[in-house]
Formats: sequence, C-alpha cells, structure tokens
Amino acid sequence: MPTIQIDGKEYEVEQGRTVLQAIDDLGLLMNGVEIPHYCWHPKLSIDGSCRLCQVEIEGVSKLQIACNTLVRDGMEIRTTTEAVRDAREGVMELLLVNHPLDCPICDQAGECKLQDYAFEYGAKHARTREPRRPAKKAIELGPTIVFDQERCILCRRCVRFCREVPRTGELGVFSRGEESRLEVFPGMKLDNPYSMNVADICPVGALTTKDFRFKVRVWFLDDVPSVCNGCSKGCNVWGSRSNNRLYRYLPRRNDAVNQTWICDTGRLSYKQFSEGRLSLPRIRGRETGYTEALAAAVRILSEAREAGAAVVGVASPFAANEDLFALRGLLSDLAAPDAVYTVPRGDSDDLLIQAEKAPNAAGARELGMRESAEGPGKAAVAIVLGHGFGPEAFEEVDALILIDTHESPLLQAAEVAVPSRSFAEKLGTFTNSARRVQRFQPMLEPRFEAWSEGEIVWRIGAGLGLDRFRSAYDPAAISRQIAEEFPAFAGISLESLDDAGRELG
Amino acid sequence: MRAETRERIEKLFDRYPEKRGALLPALYLAQAERGFVDREAAREVAELFDLAPVEVMEVLTFYNMFHTEPQGRHHVYVCTSLPCSLRGSRTLLRELGEHLGVGPGETTADGRISLDREECLGSCGTAPVLRVDGRYCENLDLDSARRIVDELE
Repeated sequence: MPTIQIDGKEYEVEQGRTVLQAIDDLGLLMNGVEIPHYCWHPKLSIDGSCRLCQVEIEGVSKLQIACNTLVRDGMEIRTTTEAVRDAREGVMELLLVNHPLDCPICDQAGECKLQDYAFEYGAKHARTREPRRPAKKAIELGPTIVFDQERCILCRRCVRFCREVPRTGELGVFSRGEESRLEVFPGMKLDNPYSMNVADICPVGALTTKDFRFKVRVWFLDDVPSVCNGCSKGCNVWGSRSNNRLYRYLPRRNDAVNQTWICDTGRLSYKQFSEGRLSLPRIRGRETGYTEALAAAVRILSEAREAGAAVVGVASPFAANEDLFALRGLLSDLAAPDAVYTVPRGDSDDLLIQAEKAPNAAGARELGMRESAEGPGKAAVAIVLGHGFGPEAFEEVDALILIDTHESPLLQAAEVAVPSRSFAEKLGTFTNSARRVQRFQPMLEPRFEAWSEGEIVWRIGAGLGLDRFRSAYDPAAISRQIAEEFPAFAGISLESLDDAGRELG
Repeated sequence: MRAETRERIEKLFDRYPEKRGALLPALYLAQAERGFVDREAAREVAELFDLAPVEVMEVLTFYNMFHTEPQGRHHVYVCTSLPCSLRGSRTLLRELGEHLGVGPGETTADGRISLDREECLGSCGTAPVLRVDGRYCENLDLDSARRIVDELE
C-alpha cells in the first residue's frame, strides 16, 4: 500500500485511489483535511470540472486537482499553502461570475456549499462589472424538482447521478461555454424513483425539492439520525425537525446499506407521523382514557385465562424488535401459539427499493414469528399490533385488543384500541432484509398520550401479574434479553449498536 | 432516420476503438438527411450507440455545426472570436440580425437565411469574417455584409 504525506503527516492509502478518494477513505475529508470541492462526490464518477480541489504536490510544478490525481508512494501533498489558497480564491471568483448572490431569498442558504466556500475561501469583493448572464428561475424539471438556472454552477453532479444511479439519464448540460445550461432532454421530465437525490447532491441552491422548498429555514432544523421504515431496506436517514415537527428526511450515508441515497417514496414517508394517527384509546368504539383502555385489555385477557380460552397474537413488521420480543413473552405466558404477521408487498428494484414494504419483517422472522396470509384463526382473544390484517381476518375472534399507531378499518372491529407511538417517537431496532440490525431513536415527542407497542404489552403483562413484566419497561434491557435468547443477535443491543448498525451473526 | 443512414452509421463503428468515438461522423450523416437533427433523430442515434438520448443532445448542442431545429436555405455565420470582435464583428452580427429581422440562432420567416455566430474561422488577418454556406467572405463592413446576404436566393 502506498504511503502518502498530507500536510506533513503520513498515511497509508489504497493503491489506485485518487488523492481526494484516499482522503475520504481515511475519513479526513472536510474533517481534518480541508479540500473544498463541488463536482466530486464519493458515489459518482469523477468529473474534474469545478477545479476547486486543487492541491500542491511536491515535484509537480502546477497545482493538481485532488479528485482526479492518483496517489503514488511517497507523494507529498500540501493543502494549506498560499498557492492553494490563491487557486481556491480564483476558482471561487469564476464560479461566482454569474451567480446572483441572492442568498437572502435562496432556500439553500445555511446549507449551501457556495455560500460556505465563498465565505471560507473566496475574496470578499467581486471584481466583475459585467452583467450576470440571463437565466431562468423556478423551472419545473419534473414532478419533484424545481431548477433555478441562475444559481447552477454546472458541476454536473445531478447529470451523473441520473446516468449512473437510477440509470434514467434525464439530465444533460447543453450548449457550450457561457451558454452552457442544465436541461432535461426535450419533451422529457426528470421523473424517476430516486429523483429527489439530485437536490441533496446539488451543492448550491439550483435544485430544490417541491416538497421542502420554502417550508423552513434550515438553521431552525436539527437532524436526528434514524432509519426509513418504508421498506425492508432500512435506508439510513436524518430526520430534520423543528418545534416537534419533521420537515424532511435526508439520506444518511451508510455504505453497507444505502450509500448516500434514498428513494422518493421513502423520503416522503416522514409525513406518516402526522397523518391519520390513532390518538385516543377506545373501548367498543367509544373514546376513553389510557388507563381505562389498558384495564379493559387486562380484564379481557384474565377472563380468557381463567376460562382456559384460546388467546392468539398478531405481530407487526412495523414494530421494533423490542416490541415483538415483549409480545412474544406475553403470548408464551398465556400459552398462546407464536404470533403471526403479514407483510405488505409492492414494487422492487435492484438499487434500494425492496418488495417488502415494512422495516422489520426480517426481525419478526428472526424472533420466531410466522408469516401468514389468513390471520390468526379462531380464538377468544386476539392481541393485535398494527392493521396488517383487515377485519375479515378476525371474524372468528370474540374480542380484539388492538394496539396501533394509525386509524384503520380494524378500529371498528376492536373491543379495545390503544394508541401506540410511531417509530419516530421511540427507541428501538429494526432488522432489515440483509439481516442488519439498525437502531433508531425518538425524533418527535408524541402529541397525545401513547406508549410504544412494547410498553403497552409490558403494562398489560404487569396488569396480569406476570413475573417477567414486573420490572419497569426498558427497551435496552429487552434488547439484551434478545441477544441472550437468540444466538444470531449475540453481542447486539441498543447500547452496543452505533448509527451504522450491525449484521446478525 | 432512413434505413440507409442507419446502415452507414453502423459501418462507422469499426473504425474507432470505442463505439461512441463514431458519434460525430454519425451525427453528420443524420444531419445530412434534413439539415438538422431533431429529438427523434437524436433518440435513434442514441439507441444505435447505447447512449442516453440526452448525451447525444449534449454533443449536438455543444458544436454549432449541428442543428436541432429546421434551418434556412442558407447559413450565414459571423465569427465572434477576439480578433473579429475587435474589428467590429459583434456590432456586425447585431446589425445584420436587425437587417434580417432575426437573432443569432434563428431563421428568417421565409426560410431563406439562418444566422448564427461562429467561433474562430482562422482568418483573423481578414477580420471581420462571415462564412456563408461554407464560403468565406472577408474584410467586411455592414454594407458589404448586407449586399452579400441580400444576394442569397
């Protein structure tokens, strides 16, 4: 492996990488080694068009672009010299020649690389007197993306993305020189299942999503690491929140799961937490208090237990491993069979989108639950997480105890319905289709009284006087129990997982 | 595109180490049919080359010898590189445009003349220069340029 020197420090790097790639591999890019860049992106081909990443290399008379210069053994790279500073200032000046400098009305302000680098590396004054080139604003490129031609610096990241990732190739840079402009092929639209990623990789305010633009200033947002629950891929996301409201998901880089991408459906799934929620407990359709509803559930189950009547359980592939494990414990104490579950299915592709449209179907499988098309069958009582099955699946059930996040037709059939927290409001883990266990944490506070599915089950179990539910509900303790009981989970717990997750053994 | 044009394009592939190397000559063949390459033709060429249509469109719009819109019977190009500009070619372009009632890149309503700017024609010593249907017209002023375009059929 070649050894290179960066600003006097030695590093071992992989052969065949470029300087910028090697620095990114070391985790140092913009994190110890400051090499500003626009066109280079770790998951796209190299373009070399923005010229901002120039560095000094010992023995080479001219500055070289770090993104497209291969490392070689003994290479001495300098990133902080006066020549490098001058080059950056010059490149920034050229990139800004046609820029409108309209940051106060630009939605990218606050997370704009042009703004950041102009501040950090640019000159403080413009020397040009020529008018900026005429360009169009607010061009709809497709159903999801709006393009501001004035702000585009022609880095071609979006162009390469469309060609290399979804392979739909809608975008191109047409014409030449000062007339160059980003466009879609005439008559086409930027319309693919991953289209909104172009807004993430656009380093400036040229491409924005219709969904997020002008909703909130980004400096009011804080980003919480989480996992998308739209399918069994478990793409890593940042949930951007402000005032207990989510405004968007951004993909969070995880090279083992989703690289730096997310599909459009998953990206927009942040809306599920505010729409159609089951917010008040019900007994036979009548709204009631949380304590009353839980007491009713406990009463129904203890009557069934005394009568020796059959109890069945329905799990949900949307619930966390910890919730499922709690349910499993309750069912086993009530001598009920293993829980059944059903998974909604839909389109899939070979990029990210999985056919299983739930985040934790693999978790339910691993924890010994059984997928079923019909439902739990005949029983006196069914404890049901979620509304995967419709009312018809419970025709042979006398009393249905429903624990759910959202309203559904199942509500009418429920003897008792208890609102639960969505995954955005709790702590837990999902197991994705590649058997990777990933942690999520609360992004939001529930707006109404609600506990996690696991905690509701736990309190019902405690109400029944069952031993295992005697201690206070603690998802971390449950995750340790899962690791003890299921060898595949050995060494995996809420505390030991980091934000990258870990594959089952 | 005619079947014959497709065949001629396919015969080009072997001449280049990479198929896409044949794109420029292929586009010349495509343009020879009607004087321009529209989006449908661009799609057809892209298919022959296994490229995204937008990549073909990038090439078409990069070079101003290619046209994506129907062109006039005659092409008048005004060189706007530095030496010609210093000798007044930008003014010439503007005034010629006013005379014909079109801007650069446009065609007169009667379909007679397409006007456009051109990068260096390599005749800086005789600036400003027009290229009219492949013929150079040199050492021009507005009057002589006007006479030249007025004589075109």
